Amino acid sequence: MNLAVFAVRRVARLVLSLIAVSIIAFGLLQLAPGSFADISNLAAEESSTVTAEMQQRYGDEVPVWQQYLGFMKGALTWDMGPSYKYTGQNVEDIIATSFPVSATLAVVAVIIALCIAIPVGVFSALRQNTPWDYGSMFAVTIWHSLPPYLVGTFLMLLLSGTWHVLPSRGWSGPENMIMPVIALALGPAAVMTRYVRSSVLETLREEYVTAAFAKGGARRLVIRRYVLRNSLIPLVTVAGPVLANLMTGTVFIEWIFGIPGLGQYFTDAAASRDMPLLMGTTLFFAVILMVTNLVVDLLYGFLDPRIRATAGAR
Amino acid sequence: MTADVLLDVQELQVQFRTERGMVRAVDGLSYSVARGEAVAVVGESGSGKSVGARSLLGLLPKTASITGGQAIFDGNDLVGMPERAMRAIRGRRIGMVFQNAMEAMSPTITLERQLTEHLIWHGVCSKAEARERAIRALGEVGIPEPERRIRMYPFQLSGGMRQRAMIAMATAIEPDLLIADEPTTAVDVTVQRQILELLKAQKERGTGIIMITHDLGVARFFCDTAVVMYAGQVVERGPMAEFIECPAHPYARGLLGSTIDVGDRHRKLSVIPGSPVDVANRPSGCPFRTRCALADADRCTHAQSLESVSPGRVAACWRSHDHV
Repeated sequence: MNLAVFAVRRVARLVLSLIAVSIIAFGLLQLAPGSFADISNLAAEESSTVTAEMQQRYGDEVPVWQQYLGFMKGALTWDMGPSYKYTGQNVEDIIATSFPVSATLAVVAVIIALCIAIPVGVFSALRQNTPWDYGSMFAVTIWHSLPPYLVGTFLMLLLSGTWHVLPSRGWSGPENMIMPVIALALGPAAVMTRYVRSSVLETLREEYVTAAFAKGGARRLVIRRYVLRNSLIPLVTVAGPVLANLMTGTVFIEWIFGIPGLGQYFTDAAASRDMPLLMGTTLFFAVILMVTNLVVDLLYGFLDPRIRATAGAR
Repeated sequence: MTADVLLDVQELQVQFRTERGMVRAVDGLSYSVARGEAVAVVGESGSGKSVGARSLLGLLPKTASITGGQAIFDGNDLVGMPERAMRAIRGRRIGMVFQNAMEAMSPTITLERQLTEHLIWHGVCSKAEARERAIRALGEVGIPEPERRIRMYPFQLSGGMRQRAMIAMATAIEPDLLIADEPTTAVDVTVQRQILELLKAQKERGTGIIMITHDLGVARFFCDTAVVMYAGQVVERGPMAEFIECPAHPYARGLLGSTIDVGDRHRKLSVIPGSPVDVANRPSGCPFRTRCALADADRCTHAQSLESVSPGRVAACWRSHDHV
């Protein structure tokens, strides 16, 4: 009847979900038209090299279910074999080198989004229906409707093209991160700002806030202790999925800024039917999404005493 | 009673700004509360009874404002009082008990903090002493093992215990006046009795009590004075015993007739026809005339003022003398 039981149950459910995801993904890829060799117009000898490698690994003309089991064995032992397209590179190495890049971008973007969303959301909620509120909500709507690739391109034109203050492409230092992170953070910041605003407004109407004022609480203190705590806890459930979404790669932004993240490899793999890489990244994304959700749930349980107390009982 | 008046409310008016214009939710509310006196403000939902009480502490939403009258508490007018002075009274001199403790206590803060924080805000005592007082207050409201339970969160208590803990939250600081806003409505009958006993004990200690309720059965339990409100106006006010004996206003009679009395199973319950009038569309003259069996087209379309019907007792109906 405690958090550990809760966590064990969730991990068990996660494993079952992963098995389901892998079967579905593998099945769909079998059904997808075209093959790597068709699409990439490989020279005969190149094609045969890859095919030979495949034959060596999985055996010739093995049934589909054996291919699946073979891949899953590889995935579990972190040995998913070479990519078709990026010859000479193993799938697990591609993930291991590109995921940290995407993850860093995502984490920094989400932190920035939160740093915008919480103050702006709280500020407009506390000044509901004043010019301040209308102004900030108008700004939020504007930046929400700007797609990241547009913001990214604009920033690049301005900061790299006109003013020459930031490098336009590449991934060699923190200065490469500034523009992509801003472009990525704006959308989530807008979503979360709205969420914070409505959550604070809702909490302000709670009777316990009136009760805290009735006890003689100063406005600042009541806001901090009663309103913010209760209205920001649910933000975890919004920020978690946003983080997972960004971590699994952001194709446009990585492409525009020449960042060697996971998103590029994933789209490349899908376009060229690079089966090992596609399966590998798909499974990896599934793991990331599920683990993030698990962490969100555990964190929520830790932050909200009601869930903490009943978590073991569920 | 007049010797030790704690709170004297005179002609209080509260308006709400709505899409349909200004609405008078409370229109001329007067009553006084002495030390050790319990005043019941009775009426249906929407009668302005709760708004009238909350306005005293400035706890209404921004759309509401007090547009007239005064409320003298200990020599100072609560109406228009600066925020700072008001804050010193809230929770310290005037405590408040709410309808539902589950909603009136924050789910993410322990009882200890919710029961002690205002003692510290008001500089009543140190943190350690506040804890002692809170534990004592929890014990007094009949919560077993208060030392253990004070570390809990509100949701970990049963409904009845939670309601009693909320009373402890208001009374640990020993306020002069307690506003109880439907404190028994959300709890079951056995708990209702406990809550009423607790409030009665507070009264016997000398605390003045404003009891807001729609239930005359609850009101008569320990209240000395009845203030009956309808559509934001007082229709009858007087000593509880006389009022229960023979209500003077037709609305008050209807309200009493529709109150369940467990002891008397032969009495028939009566029902007031129609539904409470919308204060935004209050009829001219007596607001109750649209539902009143005795309504007279000539007399009732004129405003009815509160007239004395017997010593200490007033009613706003031209026929009230017929019944007393």
